[in-house]
Amino acid sequence: MGEIANDSVISIKSLNKKYGPHLALDGITLEIPCGAVGILGPNGAGKSTLFKCILGLIGITSGEGTVLGYDIRSQADLIRSKIGYMPEYNALDPGLFAVDQVRYAGELLGMNTKVATQRAHEVLEYVGLKDQRYRKIETFSTGMLQATKLACALIHDPEILICDEPTNGLDQRARSFMLQTLRRTVNQGNRTVLMSSHVMEDVQDVCDRIVMIHKGKIVVHRSIDDLVNQVDREIEIMVWGGASRMEKELDAAGLSIRRLGRVIRVKREDDSTIRKILEAAVSAEVQVRQMRDYEPDLEDIFILIMERLGTEIKGTADLMTPEHTGGI
Amino acid sequence: MEVAFGAGDGDEDATAVVAKRQASLGTIFEQNYRPWEGNLGPRWMRNYAIYRHHVYGLFSSKGHRHYHPMVRLLVLVIFLASLTPVPMLFLASLMGGEDGSFLDKMWGVNRYNLWGQVLGYFPRNLCFWPLLTALVVGGMISDDRQHGTSAIYFSRPVTRLDYTAMKFLSVSVILGFVIVFSYFVYYTSAIVFRSEGWAYLADTLPMFLGGMLAGIILVLTYTSIGLALSSISQSRFFAAIAFLSVIYGTKLVSLLIELQFETTFLYILSPYDCLAHLGQYLLGIPYNYEHPLSFSVVSLVVINAASIALLVSRVSSLEVTRE
Repeated sequence: MGEIANDSVISIKSLNKKYGPHLALDGITLEIPCGAVGILGPNGAGKSTLFKCILGLIGITSGEGTVLGYDIRSQADLIRSKIGYMPEYNALDPGLFAVDQVRYAGELLGMNTKVATQRAHEVLEYVGLKDQRYRKIETFSTGMLQATKLACALIHDPEILICDEPTNGLDQRARSFMLQTLRRTVNQGNRTVLMSSHVMEDVQDVCDRIVMIHKGKIVVHRSIDDLVNQVDREIEIMVWGGASRMEKELDAAGLSIRRLGRVIRVKREDDSTIRKILEAAVSAEVQVRQMRDYEPDLEDIFILIMERLGTEIKGTADLMTPEHTGGI
Repeated sequence: MEVAFGAGDGDEDATAVVAKRQASLGTIFEQNYRPWEGNLGPRWMRNYAIYRHHVYGLFSSKGHRHYHPMVRLLVLVIFLASLTPVPMLFLASLMGGEDGSFLDKMWGVNRYNLWGQVLGYFPRNLCFWPLLTALVVGGMISDDRQHGTSAIYFSRPVTRLDYTAMKFLSVSVILGFVIVFSYFVYYTSAIVFRSEGWAYLADTLPMFLGGMLAGIILVLTYTSIGLALSSISQSRFFAAIAFLSVIYGTKLVSLLIELQFETTFLYILSPYDCLAHLGQYLLGIPYNYEHPLSFSVVSLVVINAASIALLVSRVSSLEVTRE
């Protein structure tokens, strides 16, 4: 049995992975401690390749790594017996009952049938599918499918749970429950969760650290609190009428601003910022309907980092069309 | 006004009866994480789970791979049809008669009948065995491609070799149960119904074993071709139809060439005819083919090798994650 080095459950050093001439992972060095870690990055950044390397599904070009003390190059099967993977896309047999699918997932790990059956009932109850476990998977809603996938990943009580877009396609209620379940798995189960998601709010809800990958390299590996503290504080104001005039006045006052329609965020420079904002409002003859300290969220941090890397990323507000916002 | 505002003197406490929400009923869901301290079994347990999932599903729908009821029914019909010589042997034994009588020639154990039980074109290789194979291999790997269930396999410590081998074994066992087992039952029932002794067994065992070997090679060849076709599509119907097309199509083309040009050479492209040629050698009966046996043997080896190579290649490409 491998021994875990220090507190890291995953330890990777100078990992390179090439697909032909394409360098998918470029010198990745990473130490992931126990807890919940968000894996972020735009499409094609190398997140899935990193997961495949961690799962030992693909050979690495160079470098070394251990997962729970097991070498990713030579002990991949032992690693996969300790990891639960929740895939992004549908990976369930529609012709099976939920309990049979989860039981089979346990048997594929080497669990005895009786033990797998009992455990299948337990995990299906844990993910909220106790009453639906004898329904065929083809009759399940999206939320129930995601919960079943999570159950398949948790059946053997893995030390590391890798979740690829766990809230994909879920409504608000199902999403909340999924996130609550993952948080409980980390806190109550004392397990490590690696979560890849494009919904920053979900990552911020579950994870306390993030690893951001861009073009095969790690660009950020910090705790979310540290990142939030490093981002400039802003004051968010909502104006009624004359947002463009207000923007010009604030600009003229030497303030750094970001405008999102009627909402303007002003970088808090010192104690006089609020006074300057109000003076600008008077000059522009606009009504300031709301003013508050803006707490940057993970989405802001992500967009900021990507902009610094020279990649344009649209935030949730930018992606929302009038059809989404009811014409507002 | 007093009626409107009540009949009291105004000193009583003002109260109002308002509609109350109905109390919600139901159990309280407490979500508690339950750890598991058990041990995982070795590799053979994982492999057996795959095998059992696919084979048991044909017999029981509870908890195992789902086979459509019509598929199960057809497999049963094919199995029973392959056992038709058994009642005929029973009939022959009841009617008595000398060796060499009509019923004995038609249904009794001899080289030609043993060959026909496994490799005869009609009805077995025209109606039964290809259809049986098509039904079994149809969704064997294509379903995993279609539904993405390969992620369930390969995110576990199941290697691609184990996955392929267990799928291959599952199909072979199902085909072997119908083809080889029915052959075995036929031979055994001939001994039992005719009350034959050890001398008969000693005389006929070599040809019986030859036929059994031919049957096993047929099972392996059909399994290879069927699984290779199943691995290249996401549709079970493509795999089934493609398999039937390969078996019947090559036979038909070769037959047309033979009729037109009076040469049997092109039969080396037909998996069935290669098997039939080899079976004739193993059972010691005259060949129907003019070309040497070695051509058929090499062709069989190439067909199997190409099918397995394709199968391995396609299984290697089954994805666990998506970018």
